[in-house]
Amino acid sequence: MSGATMSPPRRPWVNLAKDRGLIAIIVVFACLLLFVDRISPVPLSYYDVTSLVSSGAALALASVGQTFVILTGGFDLSAGAVISLVNAVVGTTPQETTAGQIGVVALGLGVGAAVGAFNGFFVAFMRLQPIVVTLATMFLVRGITLWILPDPGGAVDHALTVLFTGTAIPGLMPAAGVVIVGAACIWLVLKNTRFGTALFAVGSDSDSAHAVGINTRWTRFGAFVLAGLFYGSAGTYIGAQTGAADPLVGDPMLLQTFTAVVLGGTLLGGGRGGAVGSIFGAYTLMLMINILLALDVSAYYATIAEGIVLILAVFSSSLGRNSQTLQSLRHARAWLRARSSGLLASQVITGVSSAAPLRARGGTATTVVPWQRRHAEFLRYTTPAFVSFVLVVVATQFVYSQNIILSLQYYNSLLVLGTFLAILALGQGSVILTGGLDLSVPWTIGFCGIFAAGLIQGSDSATIWVVPLTLVMGVLIGLFNGIGVAILGLPPIVITLATDGILQGAALLFSGGTPAGFASPVLRWMMTGSLLGLTPVVYLVLVFGFLAVVLLDRTVFGRWVYAVGNSPRASFLSGIGVKKTMIGVYVLSAFCSALVGVLITGFSGQASLGMGNDYLLPSIAVVIVGGTLITGGRGHYLGMIGGVLLLTALQTLLSGTTLPHAARDIIFGCVVLASVLALRDR
Amino acid sequence: MSFKNILRGMCAAMALTAGVAAATTADAADKAKIYLSMSYIGNDWQAEAANMVKALAASSAYKDKVDLRVQVAGPNAQKQIQQINAMVQAGAKAIVVYPISPTALNEAVKAACAKGVVVVAYDGVIDEPCAYNVHVDQYEWGKLTAQWLVDKLGGKGNVVQITGVAGTSVDSLRNKAAAEVFGKYPGIKVVADANGMWSQAVARTELSKIIATHPWDTIDGLWMQAGCYTAIAMQSEAGVADDKIKPCAGEGSNGHRIQMLPVGTKVDGASGTYRPMGVPSISASSQVTPGAMALKIAVDVLEGKKVEKTMLLSPRAVTNATVKMCDTGSGDELKAGCNAFPPAIVPNPGWFASVYLPELPEVGFQAALVGQPEN
Repeated sequence: MSGATMSPPRRPWVNLAKDRGLIAIIVVFACLLLFVDRISPVPLSYYDVTSLVSSGAALALASVGQTFVILTGGFDLSAGAVISLVNAVVGTTPQETTAGQIGVVALGLGVGAAVGAFNGFFVAFMRLQPIVVTLATMFLVRGITLWILPDPGGAVDHALTVLFTGTAIPGLMPAAGVVIVGAACIWLVLKNTRFGTALFAVGSDSDSAHAVGINTRWTRFGAFVLAGLFYGSAGTYIGAQTGAADPLVGDPMLLQTFTAVVLGGTLLGGGRGGAVGSIFGAYTLMLMINILLALDVSAYYATIAEGIVLILAVFSSSLGRNSQTLQSLRHARAWLRARSSGLLASQVITGVSSAAPLRARGGTATTVVPWQRRHAEFLRYTTPAFVSFVLVVVATQFVYSQNIILSLQYYNSLLVLGTFLAILALGQGSVILTGGLDLSVPWTIGFCGIFAAGLIQGSDSATIWVVPLTLVMGVLIGLFNGIGVAILGLPPIVITLATDGILQGAALLFSGGTPAGFASPVLRWMMTGSLLGLTPVVYLVLVFGFLAVVLLDRTVFGRWVYAVGNSPRASFLSGIGVKKTMIGVYVLSAFCSALVGVLITGFSGQASLGMGNDYLLPSIAVVIVGGTLITGGRGHYLGMIGGVLLLTALQTLLSGTTLPHAARDIIFGCVVLASVLALRDR
Repeated sequence: MSFKNILRGMCAAMALTAGVAAATTADAADKAKIYLSMSYIGNDWQAEAANMVKALAASSAYKDKVDLRVQVAGPNAQKQIQQINAMVQAGAKAIVVYPISPTALNEAVKAACAKGVVVVAYDGVIDEPCAYNVHVDQYEWGKLTAQWLVDKLGGKGNVVQITGVAGTSVDSLRNKAAAEVFGKYPGIKVVADANGMWSQAVARTELSKIIATHPWDTIDGLWMQAGCYTAIAMQSEAGVADDKIKPCAGEGSNGHRIQMLPVGTKVDGASGTYRPMGVPSISASSQVTPGAMALKIAVDVLEGKKVEKTMLLSPRAVTNATVKMCDTGSGDELKAGCNAFPPAIVPNPGWFASVYLPELPEVGFQAALVGQPEN
């Protein structure tokens, strides 16, 4: 990349190979636009184009921001929360005069940039993982937003509405168009500066970038500040667009920004792509709404259609001579040919047996090293969660007059409530250990819960066959994700996000909008009954925890998971079944989600749509707080259990108080941030 | 080199959407095209409200007037803005909308009104003056339920509060009203307060956390925006006798209303914790009818009738004195004042039982349950 920018004369204006993602999204966008024009009862007018440009502008601006972070190989979960915050700030600041209006726009951008700088500081200078920092920031910012503006309201001066959503050149250019073109120009200028080059270099290979003298820290920091600035502009724009403020307005935009960036041809993991593609990606998402509406597609199919389009878009732009799909095909062909001549079977065996001598060598070495040194890393990364957990329990004791520390009931509640996260942690944790991420958790839980409840209908005898069937369903969902990642080479985030949408639609279709059925007495007893003083599920979760540790620590599969996470390439060369492992972790994750779906159904007695929505971010949070490296390769299930206990105890402490909800979010964010600070690599 | 591939991928996407297009050709030339823009299809309330709208559109009085189309915006206000724009573009005569945000839609709604489209919001509110609004007075809901609880407790006791979705106006109006009522009585102490997200499942999770630090015997009453059924079930599971269960002020779930019936009432299909327990309660409801009412308003306006801009519905509170079983849920029964349905026909205890509005005889129990009109 840097080579191309250093010798501009040789770079053609359009580079088919490099810009194919961008070209693809522009072509798709143009086709969809024509399509909308064709299927609409009245042809598209200037009014329609204006309204499209105006209503998609906020998402487009936010996606530009997200692009900066993704280009450096990062990930910004705080985007939606920052948009809400800026919207709240803009809506509650007095702005009667023109000076006041200029001030409020500057304030909006400034607040966004400040949050970006906060993220950037921890990522670039404290060297924390972007996903963790921005997760903590998301909670912090959400709390602050609710503090500033507890419910929708506020007012943004009409002059700003006219300025941003009015007409710039009558009949030709809406004001929002100017804003978007402006954003694209800022990107195009930045891209050709030294900073732009550094951005791509850091994303492609941070170490090499550092080696050739690029200041990787300031580059990362700059990326986050710019991202914040663009979220700020999106929040300000929404204020102008709506004439008011809403403390929740930005939150649902988070996942959409990822989709827009990916559709726009930017590579997750960094190094390739650009903001112009993201803008087109954002508008493509907006056009989808028009298409579904013009075709009068049943509401139930909407998320399914969106999921499929996402997969197709990414899949088609990733196809090429070196794409993973074609590679997989070539491998399959080679495998078949080898198999027919009796070759590969032996190779597969060596793949497994080669692990054995490795293990033996490790074994002889460890006999000399004392236990605590041998496990120094394990201890360093898992203890902070447990220590914090103990602190929270002690704090709980102080806050309440009852004797909490010695109350069996308290620990029983913690374990029951922690069951769901403890199970999800194994699945999500294994996926993260291989360097992936499973975003399909919410609706795998939801779909499987609804599926199970609908078939069980309160009957114990049906439970016997429905629960295994539901778990098989989970395995199939996992296979779909795993094949998408390992065989087709799609980014985990894209395929699991698409699966989530597809499952949401499937759940709606299956239940017809209102989930029927309910848990059987056995399932309910499992989650709410009592056995020897404890809730029965507590015994189950203890067994599950033991099996999970064995699986990750003492089996070939477990070793492979760590190996793949450390380096897929090295693992492949060492004869490890990288693809098998990848598929395996997604199957494991979906299996765990399905199990949790069944258990939640038992816990609440019935299944409901959206029952899994509150488990996605916590499932990631516990894995990370428990000492797992988000990029994979490092972590331990026991640490994740520590994370589960910590977060559950913290939530229990906060729920039992009458603290303002805003303050609880802030405390929660601080704890996540503090615990990852403690886990920092030195 | 990858152009062909891109085109190939796109063709697949087109074929997919075109297949759906062929299946849905509009026949309605003289019918008014009316769009429904929903928020989540996520919970029972939304699904029932949508069923009601669909049932009204299918009733004999409306089926020749209305061509109803349903779209979902999820929880995303930006999406709903674009959806409203697209509806205007697709030739909507009226838009019935469950507004995700009272403020975010203003400009989109103003633009729709300017094009002559009638916009009616239900349950939530749209601030834009050209929109019609129909909803339950949420402040009144909070006041009514909190006052009932205070009176029941004799002005003294520990109260656990489970609220809705933080940051929404319905939630803050209800909480504000309740806080004002509780504040007048120094004996009332709110000991714990958690976000219940208007979901029975979340209510259970949050209550479990609260009970870990505040055992049932330290609590005197509950004020819950949703989830009384769950709270009562949890006490029953924990071995609390029926007559010792704490008073609960809450929403209109059918399970809750069944639990309010005196012990021993004969109820078809009652089992487990979904049975008459005689629990002292008030069940006031946000009602599932405003959506259908909004469609009626839209049609009235299109027909040139004069309609008030804002219509407030009563929460139609039900207490132990007024809770009454329906046998089949027929229109006549509902008119006579029954307000709870047997578990045999409503197996889901979280189902909202407030389905009757005297102004809308076209829709009732079957409408909410399966989207079928009365006539």
